[in-house]
Amino acid sequence: MRPRRRKTPSTSGGPSVQPAQSFPQRNRAAWLTTARRAAISGFLIFHILGVTCWCIPVTSPLVLAGRSFIRPYFLWAGLFQSWDTFSPSPKAINSYVEAIVLYQDGHTKIWAFPRMERLSLTQRYFKERYRKFVENLKEDTNSALWPDAARFIARLNNNGPSPVIKVFLVRYWSNIVPRADDPYTPGPWDAHVFYAYVVEPQDLK
Amino acid sequence: MRLSSIVRAWDSFFFEPTSPVPIALFRIAYGGLVIATLLLLWPDWLTWYGPHAWVSLSTMHQVEPGTRLNIFAVIPQNDNWVEGLFWVFVGSAVSLTIGLLTRLNNLIVFLCLTSIQQRNLFITHGGDTFLRLAGFFLIFAPAGAAVSVDRLIRIRRGKEDAAVVRPRSPWAQRMIQIQLALLYFAAFCSKAEGAPWVQGTALFYVYHLDELRRFPVPSWFLQPTVLKLGTWAALALEFSLGVLIWIKDFRYYLLALGVLFHLFLEYSLNIPLFEWDVLAAYILFVDAADIERAWNWIHHPRIAGGKLLLTKPFPST
Repeated sequence: MRPRRRKTPSTSGGPSVQPAQSFPQRNRAAWLTTARRAAISGFLIFHILGVTCWCIPVTSPLVLAGRSFIRPYFLWAGLFQSWDTFSPSPKAINSYVEAIVLYQDGHTKIWAFPRMERLSLTQRYFKERYRKFVENLKEDTNSALWPDAARFIARLNNNGPSPVIKVFLVRYWSNIVPRADDPYTPGPWDAHVFYAYVVEPQDLK
Repeated sequence: MRLSSIVRAWDSFFFEPTSPVPIALFRIAYGGLVIATLLLLWPDWLTWYGPHAWVSLSTMHQVEPGTRLNIFAVIPQNDNWVEGLFWVFVGSAVSLTIGLLTRLNNLIVFLCLTSIQQRNLFITHGGDTFLRLAGFFLIFAPAGAAVSVDRLIRIRRGKEDAAVVRPRSPWAQRMIQIQLALLYFAAFCSKAEGAPWVQGTALFYVYHLDELRRFPVPSWFLQPTVLKLGTWAALALEFSLGVLIWIKDFRYYLLALGVLFHLFLEYSLNIPLFEWDVLAAYILFVDAADIERAWNWIHHPRIAGGKLLLTKPFPST
């Protein structure tokens, strides 16, 4: 059972208790609580407005100004975010990426990124990051990633007597066309070599 | 409406002490999901984050410039350091889940989580982002005040009463709730800008993406009319979970619909962990008194044991 606190100070030599707070002490405690709440409220208002500005897709000048104001802090603290999965429009193509690896002796090898539709359920859980990576890799806006990816593929496939000298990244895609009167039939596949990388000897180390 | 009534409503919403049990349960779910994320990544820790990863640290800095919380930027770039960081991360995530040195481990988990995402932003999905954001606000929450080893230690040392969990200020919990509601509302706004969502064809494309297909869905679901209705229903639900969730009368119905929605996506689409990352935060919208009732209903014979960590009814959230 929890010991009960006495409400009045003891004068008879019994167990000592804390004296009641004096008026200035109470005032100070109340002031501290108010100040603490005010500081937390400031933190809350800043973050609610900041997160709202950041993630709601509005392009009014005020929101854009707010976004650029909070940008350094949000990037630093890891509060940046976007919730645009399948939007504004879901992808209308099936696609995947393969690499053609060219060796010094002239032979080639096709290396494929893991494709979710060809993996078991368990493997898909473990290899999900490849799906996301390829989704980004194949975009032209992410061309800065291509040299690193080509080097990685070169190292991965450099296990024979002849060294890798070139890596080509190939994008394959097939349009998804909705038909109201017909069951869905997948379209034909197109291919495009979107990057070629000349492998240097130091890339293979 | 007077300014004083707005201030009172603000104070009541963010500062009126409430049971820490929902945030403690969220901490457990959150920790479990972080551990699951790490285990799924485990075979590829070095593949994605090592010195010879798919994306190098320098490329990442070039693509995403600016000063960022990123431990990878300060540790030596070799396999041992990277693996060491991951093991620290795992240890902290386990400690956070059981509620041992909760706040410290919360901070470490957030730093590590932010770091691995900053190290390679090209492999993160929405679930990872939500864990990162929730982790930030969780640092400020009384996440170890209930259902935790920290609390057991405090009880053993006589610093806390076993029968009562002291209500705490819920402002950090409210921020995670607001973050979740904004997630849905922002998703709704982004979708509402797209013609396929307005015309009702969006789900047709989603359910014909080979890479996302998981278990087979019934053929009637793929009929154009059903997909159209499904597209609009998804939009309506995202709007409701972002806006109407704050109206108490609707809350449990919307949460139930949200659970069904995410479970269906988990069954039909291959987006590992995203649904669970989001569903975990639903706990924060459940009244502590209802959690108590559910706990007692499940564990009635062991109710005395239950009291050790939970307690008598709390002020409602």
